[in-house]
Amino acid sequence: MVIEQARIDAPSAEAPKVAGGRPRPRSRGFDAPRFLPVITGLVFVYLFAPILVVTWFSFNSKQSLNVFGTPSLQWYDQLIHDPIITGSLFASIEIALVTMVVATVIGTLLAFGLVRARSHFSRPTDILMLLNLVSPEVVTGVALLLVFSEAGGFLLQFGIQFGLSLATVVLGHITFSIAYVTIIVRGRLAALNREVEEAALDLGATNVSAMRLVTLPLLWPAIIASGLLVFVMSFDDFVTSYFTTGVGVEPLPLRIYSMIHFGVTPEINAVGTLMMVMTIVVVLAALALFTYQQNARQELAFLAE
Amino acid sequence: MTAAAEPPTVRLEGVVKRFNTTTAVDNLSLDVGKGEFFSMLGPSGCGKTTTLRIIAGFEQPDEGSVFLEGLSVENTPPYHRNVNTVFQSYALFEHLNVWDNVAFGLRRKKVPEAEIRKRVSEMLDLVRLKQKATSKPRQLSGGQQQRVALGRALVNLPAVLLLDEPLGALDLQLRKQMQIELKQIQRTVGITFVYVTHDQEEALTMSDRIAVMNEGVLQQCGTPEEIYERPANAFVAGFIGISNLIPGALEGPGVRLQTGQLIPADLEDGMAPGEAVLLCVRPEKLRLNSRADGDASVEGIVAETVYLGTATQYVIELAPGVRIVAIENNTQTASSDKRFARGSKVVIGWLPEHGRVLRS
Repeated sequence: MVIEQARIDAPSAEAPKVAGGRPRPRSRGFDAPRFLPVITGLVFVYLFAPILVVTWFSFNSKQSLNVFGTPSLQWYDQLIHDPIITGSLFASIEIALVTMVVATVIGTLLAFGLVRARSHFSRPTDILMLLNLVSPEVVTGVALLLVFSEAGGFLLQFGIQFGLSLATVVLGHITFSIAYVTIIVRGRLAALNREVEEAALDLGATNVSAMRLVTLPLLWPAIIASGLLVFVMSFDDFVTSYFTTGVGVEPLPLRIYSMIHFGVTPEINAVGTLMMVMTIVVVLAALALFTYQQNARQELAFLAE
Repeated sequence: MTAAAEPPTVRLEGVVKRFNTTTAVDNLSLDVGKGEFFSMLGPSGCGKTTTLRIIAGFEQPDEGSVFLEGLSVENTPPYHRNVNTVFQSYALFEHLNVWDNVAFGLRRKKVPEAEIRKRVSEMLDLVRLKQKATSKPRQLSGGQQQRVALGRALVNLPAVLLLDEPLGALDLQLRKQMQIELKQIQRTVGITFVYVTHDQEEALTMSDRIAVMNEGVLQQCGTPEEIYERPANAFVAGFIGISNLIPGALEGPGVRLQTGQLIPADLEDGMAPGEAVLLCVRPEKLRLNSRADGDASVEGIVAETVYLGTATQYVIELAPGVRIVAIENNTQTASSDKRFARGSKVVIGWLPEHGRVLRS
């Protein structure tokens, strides 16, 4: 009987206005997800609980990692007065920024080459780039270390000092970052209607100004997105940094690793929280910048270019 | 064609374009006069779009030359040609609003900002998009996007406007409306239009002259009337409107049909007796059972009748396997019993000058 009733109810629930009555809650179909919210919730807990714990305990007044005392900023205070940690933080930001700029430029150019140049080299280049992407980072790390030491020895013959330093870390990061940029930008570029660029030429734009006024503006979202990805990946990279860094200031992830040798301290929680906040801020800032740009363009439409 | 003093706006001389092994455009020569609405008509892959791209400068011809306003444009890049294009995909700049899309060309030419403002504003009036100046292309309907593309090109006042199937993406209703609008705009601005389409009706409605192309070869170039009434060959006769092509052979001053009758017809010079030909007659020229003096006539049996509203279409079998189509307006017949029924015997007559003899 219950099934009978449900069947009769279903159509009237679909069209409550025709029936003239108040809209009734739509009856649940046999395939309506029942446990979806629960499962989704569990996945989120699994994903974010560790991060929340780290963040929470970074504000702990106690040294303990499992008993929370009172809220306090003492670990942050200790952090910013620790010249080694702040030095590492700034070194990592510096590395990430340089890597982002260089890799984004090279990766974008490569994307243009792969999509636009009708060359016999396109396909092999494509494969090499993907190979770079999937090759184990430890292997590339070791390889980079060998290359840099060889190069150092070679350049020394000409009186040029070249050793492992933050510069070699940047070089290492760039090698694995280019492929990410290329893949993201290439997707967008391939989807771009060729007629749009032809329209720009048709309307009197030279090749260079068509690129500046039409192609690049349409590619910006992809370029910015890939740049951000590179920044974040470079910022928290460990493996490549480990093999390519020299003596002196360490990138932040290496610093944290060294600190753990002396036990996990709340200070590490604070550093971790700080790194996470930085990453989120970078992404939000770029998003805000992007929305602002679009609005500004709309408002300034009637003003001179 | 225009006066000899003024060079044609567009002139193609023996243009050939090959892609790998296929010849997209084969030895094409044509002139387009100033202020003309010129259509290039043909099935897809006939080379009409390639021709348009050659005029715009996106493709270089392998042989032959292109002249714009009397000057060769062999080494002129697209951005230095006094030509603008309305693309099939519209190719609007998604990141710019309607106003900036339309102003794009003028800004590239460093036109003073006050003049840009005036001309863009006038153009938006002309294409009825004043209210949408600050909208982005994706916020507009298909017809509106089409008008932005048109305005963006026209505002530059080019010597020639190239249109690549601009109405192809619109539904039938809107297409009909835009055809009229486009023709009106062309008359208002007086700019030469070169219009590519595969829609014969569209070409007939809008054009001053039509070039019919097939497989890269120009088949016929003339006014809509010339093309419809006096098709140059069987392809043109078949591609534009409905044609009855009745096989036969030349004999004396007429054509001996395969069905046996000798039909008087106007012959072209250089046709030899005995030559295999096709006699081409348009369905609406045929008269059923109302023969006049001097008419060419054949007899047949009605095989099919189709009621079309304003007219009735009959398929008439002259002999086994030889069928022709006749269309009779329903001007006087309001009920089905006044029309010919299937199986009835009819005499079909037409004026000899309406029959056109084509080489088969």
